[in-house]
Amino acid sequence: MEAAAARVAELPGELKYIQYEHSFESQYLPAIRALISKDLSEPYSIYVYRYFLYQWGHLCYMALDPSDSSLIGVIICKLEPHASHSPPTMRGYIAMLAVSAPYRGHGVATALVKMAIDAMAQRNADEIVLETEETNIPAMRLYERLGFLRSKKLHRYYLNGNSAYRLVLLLKHIDPDAAVDLALDDMEMIPR
Amino acid sequence: MSHHDFHVSKGLSINHSSHDYAAPDEPPPPMISSEGVVAIDITRKFVEAAKTLEPGELVKDGYFTLFESVGALEIMDPKMDSGCLAPGESLDDDYDVARPLLPSEVMGIIDQLLCLEMAWHLGYPLSQTLLTNVYIEAILNPAPGNLQEAHFIRDPESEAAQDSMFTVLRAYCLGLLKSCWYVNERIKFEHYYEEEDFVTNTYHRSLLDNIDRDEIRDEIMSARRLVHSLRPKIMDDVADALSFRLELRAAFLRAIELSELRSSPESLSLPWSQMKAVWEPINKSRHLGTPVPEAFSTKLQRRLASTMPPRPIVQLSFEETYEHFKKLFVDAIDVLKVLNYVDSQSLLNFVLTFQAQKPQPLVYIRTLLQNFLFKDMVILGHLSIRHVIDDDLSIVVLPCSRHLDPANDDVEVPHDARFAIAHQMELFRQRAAQSYLDIFRAFCQNRCRVRRTLCHSIQDWETVQLDAEEIDQLLQVQLDEQPICYSTTLSPPDPNPTYSLPLSSWAYLYKLRLMEWIVQLGFELETYQPDELPGMYWYLSFLAKTRAQHAERIKGFASYRYNELRFHGALTPALEAQFNRSASYLRLTILDAAVTWELSDALTRLYVALARLRCITPPPRPYSSDELRYDIRMKPFSLIQLPELPSYEAFRRETEQADKSTAELLDAAQRSVGGARRGYERLSKMTEKEVFTVGAHERWVKGTKSCLRSVIAASIAIATVGKIVGEGDGGDAGGRLVVEVPRAEACYHDWWIVPKVTERK
Repeated sequence: MEAAAARVAELPGELKYIQYEHSFESQYLPAIRALISKDLSEPYSIYVYRYFLYQWGHLCYMALDPSDSSLIGVIICKLEPHASHSPPTMRGYIAMLAVSAPYRGHGVATALVKMAIDAMAQRNADEIVLETEETNIPAMRLYERLGFLRSKKLHRYYLNGNSAYRLVLLLKHIDPDAAVDLALDDMEMIPR
Repeated sequence: MSHHDFHVSKGLSINHSSHDYAAPDEPPPPMISSEGVVAIDITRKFVEAAKTLEPGELVKDGYFTLFESVGALEIMDPKMDSGCLAPGESLDDDYDVARPLLPSEVMGIIDQLLCLEMAWHLGYPLSQTLLTNVYIEAILNPAPGNLQEAHFIRDPESEAAQDSMFTVLRAYCLGLLKSCWYVNERIKFEHYYEEEDFVTNTYHRSLLDNIDRDEIRDEIMSARRLVHSLRPKIMDDVADALSFRLELRAAFLRAIELSELRSSPESLSLPWSQMKAVWEPINKSRHLGTPVPEAFSTKLQRRLASTMPPRPIVQLSFEETYEHFKKLFVDAIDVLKVLNYVDSQSLLNFVLTFQAQKPQPLVYIRTLLQNFLFKDMVILGHLSIRHVIDDDLSIVVLPCSRHLDPANDDVEVPHDARFAIAHQMELFRQRAAQSYLDIFRAFCQNRCRVRRTLCHSIQDWETVQLDAEEIDQLLQVQLDEQPICYSTTLSPPDPNPTYSLPLSSWAYLYKLRLMEWIVQLGFELETYQPDELPGMYWYLSFLAKTRAQHAERIKGFASYRYNELRFHGALTPALEAQFNRSASYLRLTILDAAVTWELSDALTRLYVALARLRCITPPPRPYSSDELRYDIRMKPFSLIQLPELPSYEAFRRETEQADKSTAELLDAAQRSVGGARRGYERLSKMTEKEVFTVGAHERWVKGTKSCLRSVIAASIAIATVGKIVGEGDGGDAGGRLVVEVPRAEACYHDWWIVPKVTERK
């Protein structure tokens, strides 16, 4: 999230927060892609968006301008058993989060992350993880204020050569003796 | 999420709007005929089935992963489709490699190649660095079969090919490419992380691997002579500048060649010193060059074996390039010194201090170090693994011990105890060697990976320790060892006699150090939030105290054996020297552990005080609890049985210290910091023999002095807080303080995060 040159002083009234549904694809997917790829040096193919949205649309939330229902922010997640755990944990993963530059600094991202956490917790997530660029201080502050910890640093994780932190939010106590390999594995969400 | 090289994927996402699958003028399906295969055209069926899908619907099997979906390509998106051209854009630039070049242009191209070469060393792919140069491309494509063909002008008889400036540029490029080949091979052969540390992909371009380096060196040498002969025609300073650049290439090849010898570091360092020497005039002469930006193009990437669309050229400034190369040459000269083996602990300290440098040595240097250490299972080119392990066992736990007597190997009588000892020790070495060498290997990785690797290693060492204990028990029978009641300065004599268990003691000591390193690297890598610092320093202190106690135990047994030998008049000067070396090591270990726990205790108390004064406040964290965060933070240690992870309750008690007033806490902090200060002062005055840093002493002293500065900074911070608290201020002492928790890089030492505390004016 880069510093916005021109930020709105106030949000346009109460934003609408809605859960994504497959039927929104034609209306919102282009806007979602545009918003997210703004902060990316390399774009994701439409396939990546569909991979998430088709399977975990219920873990995607959008913040909309109340006046014209245009997209202001979006969060995209997934939730599935994490394979290298024994017994496996239900691991939530925040894949993408973006808020349109002029609307930053008003808690829109925090509201979206909270909705996603709530939704994943309700579906029995044991933990929620994500990666964020080491230089992205606002993002780290956001997640750390909610309870995430940095569990490890990932050297040159992004194509631009920047490193990342893995952030973890543990929602339930995991019995260490039950797990053989404790999230120390190198099986990142997207293996490198 | 992270991006990756695109791969061809299985899977399909339907998008009716942009494609019409049932186009009437589609070409007929190809005729497929093969024995045993009956081909059926499913186009119609497929199109029919696809029509039943909604746009955006995903068709995939259960094994289709996110990784594969990230690899999907979108045709006609210029950022994903490598063949996609903007309207009017040509596939290639029309740059004529045969156009005459001025000497200054040759220099400009060479200097840009230096920047790209360094960008490659730093981890960017060849496709975005050296392979964007048209001359390099013309030399490599089509692949030259011999030296003559390795020219950007392929007709050797042509007038252009004879051009003197071309001869210079070509010789430079040949030297560059050949050294890149060696660098790439070196890195590929050792442990590194692809795309993280380095990209070894050459996109099916051969970096002159079939052309002999001596032939290439001859080309460089004759180009230098040519430059010399041109002096009447071109300016002297330009001739010098070109000559230095050619010299750099020749020296690089020579350095690589020599490094394969793994012996006599003084002579191996000569070409590196030569590079270091010519690097300054190269830097000073770069104003003589004229940039030729049109000789570099991202479009060349389309010719490479890659599905990636062209990505921008990585542009390092010459200033950055200058600094990185300078560091490369210095590090290369330094790393050669590892070949002077003195003892196993100095070797370990060499690797630790060498890798702790900021910035860390480049991956090429780090793989060179691995090559020196491990190539062909011969340590540093002349030592057996057994030699190094036995040396280490003798320093740490077994000075003058029958365990390590080489004469045991010669005993052939199976009933002889020495036969059994030799056998059991060999079993132990086989069990422990890999884990032991892995410590060295781990520290040759990037810092993030060092910490992650150690998190795995401690579990490995836990089992090494258990297995070693079994061997210890077998050996104590063979050695007829009697249990003793040892006493230490840290603990009262144990009334129950115990055995020395040397091998498992050795493993336990390493495990403890590994655990401390994990915590310390956590500080260095800024893994902890400010309010976690008191807890992490408390845990570090806990580990260091455990290590000191353990070293005291080892020392207790060592002095018992020393006294016994002396009592029996069996102490020769040689044996005494071995005992002294071991005693020296154990004293050092205890002192090192002591300064670690003292300064950790001081910082724990200071941070607890600052938390009470609300100078450091935790974030609200509505989704987390202290206990769950303790779980996640201590995950790497939760499976370790010895020392067992303290309970959350114990952790909470120690990081709140509710039984102490803030003033008492600060007093205790000041006492700890005093202890740390005396310890570091003692350490910094010790000789390289006493601290086992032969070959690495300078770096070690620098690190120790940084710790001493941290101690002083901590002392000042504690005093400042103590003064305000002492003045008693109706409860708002915190309001009178300005506290900043600095970034690790802004601290005197990145393992000691000392808060900056000042009085609010």
